[in-house]
Amino acid sequence: MDSKSLALYPFVTEAFSYVETLGFSLERLLNSRALDSARFRGKERVLQSIEDGEIQKPGLSGSGEEKTFLELLSYPFSRILVSCINDSYLIRRYALAEAESASKLLKTENKDFLVEIANDFNVSITPFDSHFAMHFTDYIKLANTMKDLKWKLVNRRLKRGYVHITHEEVARLLQEAIRDRIQNALPLDVSSEVCNTCNSHIDEIKEVLQNRKSDINIDDMGEVDTESFPPCISNAISGVSTGANLGHSMRFALTSFLLNVGMTVDEIVDMFNVSPDFDEEKTRYQIEHIAGSSGAPYTPPSCQTMKTYGNCYGGDEFCQKIKHPLNYYRKKLYKKAKKEKEKSQQQDG
Amino acid sequence: MNDKTLRFLKKRFQDYYQDAHIHLPPEYTSREWGFILFDDMPKTVMRRHMAFGSSGELQDYFSWTVPAHAYYSVAYYEYPNASNMKDKNWLQSDLIFDLDADHLPHVPDSYPEMLENVKQEALKLYDFLSDDFGFGEDDINIVFSGGRGYHFHISHPSVRSLGSAERREIVDYISGRGLDISQIIGKSYVSGDSGRRDASMFVFPSENDGGWGAKINRYIISYISNIVNSNKPIKKLTDFSGVGKTTAEKLVNIFNDEKQLSLLKKGKIDMVSNTSKNLFEHLGKQAVDNLIANVDEPVTADVKRLIRVPGSLHGGSGLRVTTLSASELEDFKPLENAVVFKDNPITVNVTQPSIIEMKGNKYHVDEGVQDLPEYAAIYLMCRGGAEYGSN
Repeated sequence: MDSKSLALYPFVTEAFSYVETLGFSLERLLNSRALDSARFRGKERVLQSIEDGEIQKPGLSGSGEEKTFLELLSYPFSRILVSCINDSYLIRRYALAEAESASKLLKTENKDFLVEIANDFNVSITPFDSHFAMHFTDYIKLANTMKDLKWKLVNRRLKRGYVHITHEEVARLLQEAIRDRIQNALPLDVSSEVCNTCNSHIDEIKEVLQNRKSDINIDDMGEVDTESFPPCISNAISGVSTGANLGHSMRFALTSFLLNVGMTVDEIVDMFNVSPDFDEEKTRYQIEHIAGSSGAPYTPPSCQTMKTYGNCYGGDEFCQKIKHPLNYYRKKLYKKAKKEKEKSQQQDG
Repeated sequence: MNDKTLRFLKKRFQDYYQDAHIHLPPEYTSREWGFILFDDMPKTVMRRHMAFGSSGELQDYFSWTVPAHAYYSVAYYEYPNASNMKDKNWLQSDLIFDLDADHLPHVPDSYPEMLENVKQEALKLYDFLSDDFGFGEDDINIVFSGGRGYHFHISHPSVRSLGSAERREIVDYISGRGLDISQIIGKSYVSGDSGRRDASMFVFPSENDGGWGAKINRYIISYISNIVNSNKPIKKLTDFSGVGKTTAEKLVNIFNDEKQLSLLKKGKIDMVSNTSKNLFEHLGKQAVDNLIANVDEPVTADVKRLIRVPGSLHGGSGLRVTTLSASELEDFKPLENAVVFKDNPITVNVTQPSIIEMKGNKYHVDEGVQDLPEYAAIYLMCRGGAEYGSN
């Protein structure tokens, strides 16, 4: 791979060894005046990931060696910054942004290049005239986190162990592998001396991160607001209250959802206490199991899983924007809070 | 089950294990083993978290402690005999499929019919594993469970590291769950340049597509071909709702014309009338219902499950857990081929009247003391329907 490609795909194994051969010490990366713009670009990567969810990649085809080096070296610096802040939301968001940007670029690369990148992730793909073939085991490892039903193996052209996939789909699947690699390697083991050197950058990122978090109301969902529940959950609740028997998968989805939005085991037991053959002890036991003995409840199933089991019911326009019932709730709450804030501001003014 | 019966069964199982060859799975020293012993019965105690370092050690265990039921883990562990699951350190697992007569849509009353049903399911599963998933005959280990079904073991290196969610994707494929059939067959709306969904076309799969598309293509074409090549094809075709005489005649012509038929196999469907397209769509849905194999999802998804040891005896039937090759499956008769005991007469006191069909014989067994061939007596005692001896 040439140095320009390494700069654009700095997470590949070859890029690590290449940077090593360049002989830049950590000390120089952190302090050298000549690398000011690499550090600036490194901070920019992180900021872009928070604010836009996407990292703008430079066009390097016409540029000189220096620009290429700076782009390449900005990546390890980004990772140092993210590691110093060591925030799980930031790590996920940063890894996703890096992966999405790389995937977008991969769509424009040629077949051989895709094969090479895939190989770096231990995924072997065979190019044909207008498509690729990927072994189904590699395919399901990459695709099983994807939400859309079209990615389910059952909806793919599978023949003698190999899945038929398009160029664009390969790029999308590799995004998953790239994200995993970046996310799993973070945070790096960084010393407090290293982090102190980057303080001004870190403070700037932290501020942007804090704003982003309070915007989307990430940590505390506050009081339970049943009006903001997604249609699948509201529907199940009205079923339960009329004494209908829910299937196992829907009961699990409902219970884990309610636990995650902050309802207590007692409240949920009461909710189920309508049917004539209600068995409180058994119900409580099951709910407590889903709540988890360690206090961390199971996460409810995603929209795709709900669809698969026929539990997605009455999807509305808002559902188009989310892939998970909990996000429906979070976003609705956020929207509601925003509206109320505007209202009170208008009243104040 | 009383003590005398237990002692008798233990003795006969022990005789079997003196000579029997236990089928050792790949890397058997990395597996957890578990047993239910006659000595602990009638209580059901699973002695698990065991590991064996050599085949001789295992063979000795079988012949000296005499398990009524024997299992090993589908998982390979670093420390298979650690007493809690976390400390075992899971490394990888075989891919397992479980077919159970009790989990099929229609459960017949008689045991032989149940077994025949589940065998049909096993044949369908085998087709999926070889045609779609590309496993060779040697990669697929087919095992009659000794009870009401079959286990398929796949130890191929490519599948061993798959997680539970990934294994569920395989089950979903085989059971057609989540299949979006509207993308394969039927009227599909295509967005025009303006983004309006106004243009519609009929999509039809090609047999070269692979996946469910190819299966559906082959099913529909062979289904209609069978009708066309039978007596009174027009009558049979017009029995479908919406199909008139003209449509039926046109279909017969298409299916008798090799050139048009081969276009149809490739997914080209322009020459077919709209009424026939509706028929195809109907048959497409029927294809899915007929082609799916009902495998038990939780078993495949569980990467730490214990599964019956091939070559051991099933303590609930006395039948041998029997390994089969793909070519043996079709003609396999569990109630003959998995019977290991002889036909010398044994006196038993029958407590539950039953009908037993084994080794080609059918016995209507009434309550009370009587002599039965040993294999039938053992079967009945294992099922809890008889006690050993005359009192």
